Amino acid sequence: MSTPSLKGIRVIAFTWVWAGPWMGGVLADMGAEVIKIETRQRLDSQRVVKITKNPEQGVNQGQFNVTNRGIKSITLNLKQPKGLEIIKKLVKISDVIITNFAPRALPGWGIGYDVLKEIKPDIILVTLPAFGSTGPDKDYLSYGSTLEAVGGLSSSFGYPGETPVISGPYPSDPIGSMYGLVGLLAALNYRNRTGKGQHVDIAQNEGVTSLIPEVIMEEVMNGRTRPRMGNRDEIMAPHSCYPCKGHDKWVAIAVDTDAKWHAFCRIMGDPEWSKDEKFSDQYHRWQNQDELNKLIGGWTKDFTHYQVMQQLQKVRVAAGPSFNIEELVNDPHVKNRSIFIEQNHPVAGKTIVYRSPWKSALTAKNPPAPCLGENNSYVFKELLGISDKEIAELIETKVIY
Amino acid sequence: MFYKVLDGLKVIEYGNFISAPFCAKILADLGAEVIKIEEPCCGDDSRRQAPFLNDIPSLENSGLFQYLNMNKLGITLNPASATGTKIFSELLKSADVFLENNSPEKMKKLKLSYSPIKQINPRIIMTSITPFGQTGPYKNYESCELISAHMGGVGYISMREGDISKEPIKLPAHLFSFQAGLSAAVATLSSIFRQTTTGLGEQLDVSEQESVIQNLNSSIARYAYAGQIMARTDAAGHAPFHILPCKDGFVCAAFVEEAEWRRFVEVMGHPEWADNELFKDFASRAKYWDALKPLIIEWTMQYTEEEIYRRSQENTVPLGAVRTAHQVLQDKQMAARQFFVDINRKDTGKWTFPGVPYRFSEIQREKPVAAPLLGQHNEEIYCGRMGYTRGDLVRFKEAGVI
Repeated sequence: MSTPSLKGIRVIAFTWVWAGPWMGGVLADMGAEVIKIETRQRLDSQRVVKITKNPEQGVNQGQFNVTNRGIKSITLNLKQPKGLEIIKKLVKISDVIITNFAPRALPGWGIGYDVLKEIKPDIILVTLPAFGSTGPDKDYLSYGSTLEAVGGLSSSFGYPGETPVISGPYPSDPIGSMYGLVGLLAALNYRNRTGKGQHVDIAQNEGVTSLIPEVIMEEVMNGRTRPRMGNRDEIMAPHSCYPCKGHDKWVAIAVDTDAKWHAFCRIMGDPEWSKDEKFSDQYHRWQNQDELNKLIGGWTKDFTHYQVMQQLQKVRVAAGPSFNIEELVNDPHVKNRSIFIEQNHPVAGKTIVYRSPWKSALTAKNPPAPCLGENNSYVFKELLGISDKEIAELIETKVIY
Repeated sequence: MFYKVLDGLKVIEYGNFISAPFCAKILADLGAEVIKIEEPCCGDDSRRQAPFLNDIPSLENSGLFQYLNMNKLGITLNPASATGTKIFSELLKSADVFLENNSPEKMKKLKLSYSPIKQINPRIIMTSITPFGQTGPYKNYESCELISAHMGGVGYISMREGDISKEPIKLPAHLFSFQAGLSAAVATLSSIFRQTTTGLGEQLDVSEQESVIQNLNSSIARYAYAGQIMARTDAAGHAPFHILPCKDGFVCAAFVEEAEWRRFVEVMGHPEWADNELFKDFASRAKYWDALKPLIIEWTMQYTEEEIYRRSQENTVPLGAVRTAHQVLQDKQMAARQFFVDINRKDTGKWTFPGVPYRFSEIQREKPVAAPLLGQHNEEIYCGRMGYTRGDLVRFKEAGVI
């Protein structure tokens, strides 16, 4: 009854950095068996990034362990003919292949979609390059911030009247992951109905652009560039972040009706300034929001962000702290929902990961991120039936490497 | 639709503004039949959200609403009326998926929570998207995208080159409500796969705050492993990781590997900078950024965005042009992939919209259909499918049902 949705689906993952691995992590939550193909010839940069107390702990560091949790890892050098032979055997018993490598990578090893399809006619290949696998710029390189720039997001990001800036969290990566999963799951559903596999190609830059239609449609409909607005809304005011008691503490507040504005004023003790005509309705508040924000900040600064949230939520005004990571992990609501999961990683020690951003009774229970080649024996011996002697040779000749 | 993948899947959307409508849009784009239910008085809030065609506010001319609701059927229904309740449950009886983003309190009052709905249709998948989820102390808190962004922890680390005397800011437009809808679509699609094979449904509880948290992998790793709390000063340790001005705009020079920096100094015609002790690695360049920045800008100011972008990428430097919407609409790569799509509406003519980022090799791409006018498909659904008469429709209207 509570079998995870993708139980029995096997996925081969050629993934690194963030967008690809996070697809794998979510698929693992859905119960799929995800096997990541790695090689010491070129490791996932996130395996070795120096975010750790003990840099000597090697190749299980930092965000690798966050995004790759619940999956399996094997080491295989595809530049060797034997390596290629083995991967083809694995393709034969798999359902899906995912990759966020450059479009030339898989064909370069001799496993482009046409080859994969011959090995397994109903295979689903999901490619997730920065700019898609076709078109004049298909080989262009990109990290999250570059995608946000080229996709049209960065030009609208920044404080009002200032120059554009790089975002802190690079959401274009997990956006890419989620679009990759939309394509993958759509293709799985299609295979269910028709028996057909296919190649699904996702352009991450298009994913970014598709999530900011307000910016695009402003240009299409009115020939205007959307200005940088910081926390501002187009209609609501107040709609910003305000300083609170403590070092670098802030609360976000948004008011969308006059009734809520009056409720907010009552909480502030109906100060004289709040009765000024300048703030008498939404239009006026919006016009005079810089001044308004300063005055509100004069009230919030005497409270903690939690105190402001609690006072305002009591009268149904939208408000909440601008959390830092420590506050977020320890927040009572966040704890109650168990979005963060503490894992004891055999090498890295105490690790905190997050589950997929939804609650389902069917979510699989999964182990921490794998060590490099942790599942070599399971895959080579159990799944593919390669003998111990052969495996020893493959290690010796750096095919399993 | 764009691709006929989920042919035959029936979806009821009782959504408002962005998150649930976007989730439903994704299913509609993939060929599901989505019936969108709007309140008869006023319709979806996004109908009142800019941008409007020629800046003329109208329920039928919001670019945001039109984008979010293309490929759907639209009916009006007041589920608080007795007749409305009856019609709603009839619609749910034959649906595969029910999507909504109302407060848990409201859904309970309307008897539209998962437990009564499961009684009507045991195989239904019900996906609810709310700011904080269906459980926990904040489940009924008031929120909007601004609050989700900050309570999800991304505001505190945005922007990257910031000084902390300025307030944390959020990313543009309603990015995180869209991301929540996108995540909800992924959850729903996996459940649809299971529903097809087992005939079973489930409840999916999507939290916009948790959808924001998925952007924090670097923050959580640094916190868990090094006890670091990322803030808006984080860029201090790494350079270049900046947006820089050029002759006609801005470029984004954000590198991760040393080799990328070395190739970039070649592109700038200053290979000797690679050997400069002060600029030897990301940390050192960050330390001496005040000295380095003007040197780089002296070069970037001589060229256009396009020149710097092309020249860098041709030398495998992952630099990007900071493009405005106008430039994105002219992008040759997107044009080659036919990303943007035109939708014709009789009364307003042709509009261009962002399309979808996926391409299926085995399925022909089709032309999308314009978003429904308020109540456009009332007759088709109520009379054509459910057997009510046109006379009933008049009486429904009088009674405030539709």
